[in-house]
Amino acid sequence: MSEQVHNRLAVVRAERKVSRQALAEAVGVHYQTIGYIERGQYNPGLDLALKVARFFGLPVEALFSLEPFQPLTDEVYGRKQ
Amino acid sequence: MTATRYDRRMYAVMNDRRAAAVYATVTRRRVLVGAHVVLTVAGVAAWIGTVFGPGYGPAIVVAVLLLPWVLLTGMLNGSTRGLLELRGRMLDERQLVERDQVRALAHRITLWLLVAVVVAAGSYGVLTDEPLRAAVTPVLVGVLAAHWMMPLWVAGLRVKDDLVDDMGDIGEVGAGA
Repeated sequence: MSEQVHNRLAVVRAERKVSRQALAEAVGVHYQTIGYIERGQYNPGLDLALKVARFFGLPVEALFSLEPFQPLTDEVYGRKQ
Repeated sequence: MTATRYDRRMYAVMNDRRAAAVYATVTRRRVLVGAHVVLTVAGVAAWIGTVFGPGYGPAIVVAVLLLPWVLLTGMLNGSTRGLLELRGRMLDERQLVERDQVRALAHRITLWLLVAVVVAAGSYGVLTDEPLRAAVTPVLVGVLAAHWMMPLWVAGLRVKDDLVDDMGDIGEVGAGA
């Protein structure tokens, strides 16, 4: 049974203002595949995950994780009680 | 392996979005698949009637059904973005996985369909004491059609809706910055 891989691709893509189509063309996949990854309906292979990370200039663990991601604002500023 | 001109042409055809509204939602795709199943069954029945029956009526039915059947087949292939029509080198890793899953599921469904046909034919033969020889060819043709079309029906039912891309045409901006 395959494990759920969490990702923050949609957040990073929105922040960088990159369309799914542009990202898909850059990493050599169909644009629908980016949507499937963002929705958690497909876990990318290692080479695709590395290509996506390289495209954004980020370490792969910044985009994909076996554990759920914390919101970025929490990571940057910390959650205020 | 390098894509040929045929590959690129087929890729463009299968990703042509002009008819996208027809298969944009799950419900519409289910209706499409249902209509395709009905047309296939009717077409095969009419074809069997043409070959084994006395009159020309079924041949006219086949001719009438052919065009809508081809159109629906094209729409289903469009909804899957050519999952079963494109060569493997034109599909990405997710599509190759999906194609394998579709084929495996279709194979399993066809297997159970065959089991049902065998049980039904055997039961009919035992209960009525009628020879089944005459039914062998029509049944085989029907099973062949189901075997041929099942992957397309399964693929059509498994397609997920497209997400709206809120970045629109600004996709090139700030890509790797």
